[in-house]
Amino acid sequence: MEHIGEVIESSTKGFIAQSPKIGKSPSFGTFVKTDSTPEVYGLVYEIITQSSEPGRKPTAYDMSIDELKREQPQIFELLKTEFHVLIMAHAQSKEIKFTLSPLPPPIHSFIYECTDKEKRELSEQDFFLRAIMSSSNVPVDDLIISSLCNADKIRKNDDEYLVRMGKSLSRCFKDDYERLSSILRRIL
Amino acid sequence: MLRERKHFVDEFSEKIKLAQNELHNKSQNWEELSQKIEQSKTSWLLAGISSALDIRISLPDRPVNYTAISSDGSQIFPDRHEVLPCYLINISSVVLNYGENGSANLSSDPVLFFKDEDRFVIWEGKKIPANSNIISHKRTLMEFERLLHLASENSDRENIISISDGTLILWSLEGSPSDFKNAILEPFLNIMDEFKNRRVPIVGYISYPGSTDVVNALRLGLCPEKVSYCNQCPYTDLPELPCSPIEGLTDRNLFSSLLKEGEMSSVFRSSSKILESYGDHHIYFFYLNIGQEIARVEIPKWVAEDPDILKLVHTLVYDQAKKGKGYPVAISESHEQAVVRGKDRNFFFDLVKESMVKADFNVSISRKGISKRVPGV
Repeated sequence: MEHIGEVIESSTKGFIAQSPKIGKSPSFGTFVKTDSTPEVYGLVYEIITQSSEPGRKPTAYDMSIDELKREQPQIFELLKTEFHVLIMAHAQSKEIKFTLSPLPPPIHSFIYECTDKEKRELSEQDFFLRAIMSSSNVPVDDLIISSLCNADKIRKNDDEYLVRMGKSLSRCFKDDYERLSSILRRIL
Repeated sequence: MLRERKHFVDEFSEKIKLAQNELHNKSQNWEELSQKIEQSKTSWLLAGISSALDIRISLPDRPVNYTAISSDGSQIFPDRHEVLPCYLINISSVVLNYGENGSANLSSDPVLFFKDEDRFVIWEGKKIPANSNIISHKRTLMEFERLLHLASENSDRENIISISDGTLILWSLEGSPSDFKNAILEPFLNIMDEFKNRRVPIVGYISYPGSTDVVNALRLGLCPEKVSYCNQCPYTDLPELPCSPIEGLTDRNLFSSLLKEGEMSSVFRSSSKILESYGDHHIYFFYLNIGQEIARVEIPKWVAEDPDILKLVHTLVYDQAKKGKGYPVAISESHEQAVVRGKDRNFFFDLVKESMVKADFNVSISRKGISKRVPGV
């Protein structure tokens, strides 16, 4: 399996990874893992493509991407795509533990998309939803929706699963009916 | 002040009109002026003429696929107030492939110089520390070596052009001792040979040029003497010399009113003294309206004499400047790759210091060096 990113900034709550190719990032809400020891699991919540050189800023060329590749090929060497990951679990004795890792993943660790089995395990309980809700600086509602849809996809639209997670969300949001309703309507 | 400025502007536009008239007049009988240029001795550089002066060559079609290569250099000069008297030269490589398989390779390679043979040169038997002038020439040579390397690596590409920032005329070597001059010039001319053998045009691009070669040729035309010798000028008693009315104009001023966007001027021959050593690679030049400004484009003789290659240079240099919004994109990217900034310089000397400490050397720098780094209040 090819890696989809490399850690370039790391902290206890999350990390930033750079994609090997411009514009090729795991999509928002994807379950990813590091190749470090211990393996760290998280969710992609921010994707940024920008100039790789400080002080230089992309400008408009009024050309399609194909035209740019033919006529301004250098710009693709001067851009980078980064994605931010919210850490929600780590591996411990071959099991997934839903707490932050004792140490953040080392810089230059490779990032892989989780296997279906790992995705299933990570989303079986509502811990991932609670990890999202307790985070600041992430688009909470949209990340809940995307990650839940991804979790539902590997279960091939398991209604029982969705109902169970819906109930968890209703407990989490307590009396914020409007917000819960907005999320649920967007999932279904 | 504004009145004076207005007077200056009015006077300047009068000069431009006069120079334009001269350009057209002398074009009708350019052979005569060309002969006078060859026979006269002036204190200024004169453009050699081999066609009418007011020719405007329209922009040829650009080939779909082409490759532009460029290289630039930057350096950290040795500083006797630093820990070791070493220096660094960073040389960039830029290869831009346009068309069906568009791609780009941008990189730079820094080289550290610390050995005695790098730090000293022997001029006429005297051992002299490598100063900024010597290092700059060494850097220039390394840039051309890199260009040749890039040209040979990409020899399978069609329509390749090599663009260098600034002049191809190494005029600053003129005053150097002959052994140093030869140490730079010989390998440089070998590189020019290689470019010629490979049929890869090498171009020196000068943005916003201040040169006056063509205006000087017109000034010579204004001189009533059949053959002019400035050091024996018979008009010095007159209130104004016959050649003065267009003095102060640059070729850029002259051609900006003549050339339309994309058009290039006639090709002129430079008369810089150093070119006497260039042999077969004498440098020629033309002016090109790239839209935002008039640029001077320098080319070796063989490019000037090959109409197909000249056409290619015309269209590709214009295309490069358009892509770079007024300045060739290959040159600006090679500059960006090469540039060494002030903080890089500090980082470099910190690294040298750190490595020495790790190797158990006693490290000391001058009080001036310390004072520059940690200024007190």
